[in-house]
Amino acid sequence: MASTDKPVDTEYSRPTSSAQPHAGVDLFKFDVILRFLLFAASLVSVVVIVTGNETKFLPMPRPAKFRYSPAFVYFVAALSVAGLYSIITTFASLYAIKNPAVRAKLLLHFILWDALILGIIASATGTAGGVAYVGLKGNKHVNWNKICNVYDKFCRHVGASVAVALFGSVVTVLLIWISAYSLHSRVPK
Amino acid sequence: MEGSDYYKRSSYEVEGAESKEMGKAVSMSAYDLVMRVLAFVLTLSAAIVIAADKQTKVIPIQLSDSLPPLYVPLTAKWNQMSAILYFLVTNAIACTYGALSLVVALVNRGKSKGLWTLMTVLDAIMVALLFSGNGAAAAVGVLGYKGNSHVNWKKVCNVFDKFCGQMAVSIGVSLIGSLAFLLLVVIPVVRLHRRA
Repeated sequence: MASTDKPVDTEYSRPTSSAQPHAGVDLFKFDVILRFLLFAASLVSVVVIVTGNETKFLPMPRPAKFRYSPAFVYFVAALSVAGLYSIITTFASLYAIKNPAVRAKLLLHFILWDALILGIIASATGTAGGVAYVGLKGNKHVNWNKICNVYDKFCRHVGASVAVALFGSVVTVLLIWISAYSLHSRVPK
Repeated sequence: MEGSDYYKRSSYEVEGAESKEMGKAVSMSAYDLVMRVLAFVLTLSAAIVIAADKQTKVIPIQLSDSLPPLYVPLTAKWNQMSAILYFLVTNAIACTYGALSLVVALVNRGKSKGLWTLMTVLDAIMVALLFSGNGAAAAVGVLGYKGNSHVNWKKVCNVFDKFCGQMAVSIGVSLIGSLAFLLLVVIPVVRLHRRA
């Protein structure tokens, strides 16, 4: 498909490149929307997991909190970083819509930092998901009892939070995709 | 293939500046190939190390104070814990993808634009998969090392020390492999940006 395009490009690249300096495709509107979605997802998942604290009387009061597990603490920290990052980059992306001169430079930085944030969100999702699964099912081999039959509200909050974080990582992959696509469309043949 | 050959020839013949661009493109794909081989080897070895991870220990169990302790052989294996199973599967997927993308990159040599974008996205997905698998295995590993007193999960790594050590090595190797995938996303983009 693309290989048949190539000879045509070599013939026509010179006139088009002199006419306009490789504007490329403009996907910054989608970029802003996706970044806002990422912000919303990380905010929702942090709020949901923090509000999941639950105390059961069995018969002594035994609370379940996210900060009792290092995995959930890491999850909250990582999603907070992702939320902060998405606020900053939403404004950067809005600035790029107003000011097309900074776009090429901004696309590069978006891909670099998006890849890093993708790693952070994905690892946080995996961490919290792994611990939550043990909490849900237990593990008889190492004698870890399931706790979700007792702390049902806490577990529901954790599960919802992990699901929203998973959505956030999908959004980050899409962000890398559109940034890579529009950066590649700016490269002269 | 034919079209890209034609493109290469024509760009070499038409002007010298274009041929310098082509040289840059070739060096980019050489770097790409080395990094893909590295990612493939690292994820493969992480998968093998975790799959070979097995330890059997004879544990004395005290049923009551009057009786002598009962000796029970207990085995720790990767398939007993879902998080480790997930870790193994993500490494296997990344390793398979690394091998396939190596072949595709060898055939393509960084010419097709659509394929380049597709591979960047797939590399990013592999980064996400590997990092989540690493996170899950590391979280369960920390639980094994430390236990959790709040929910009464006892630590197990004081018993299965060799199992836990081998698992930590596997997670470390897989982490380096996922960093290789991260660099596969990042560095071609930096090189591309210089040409944009």
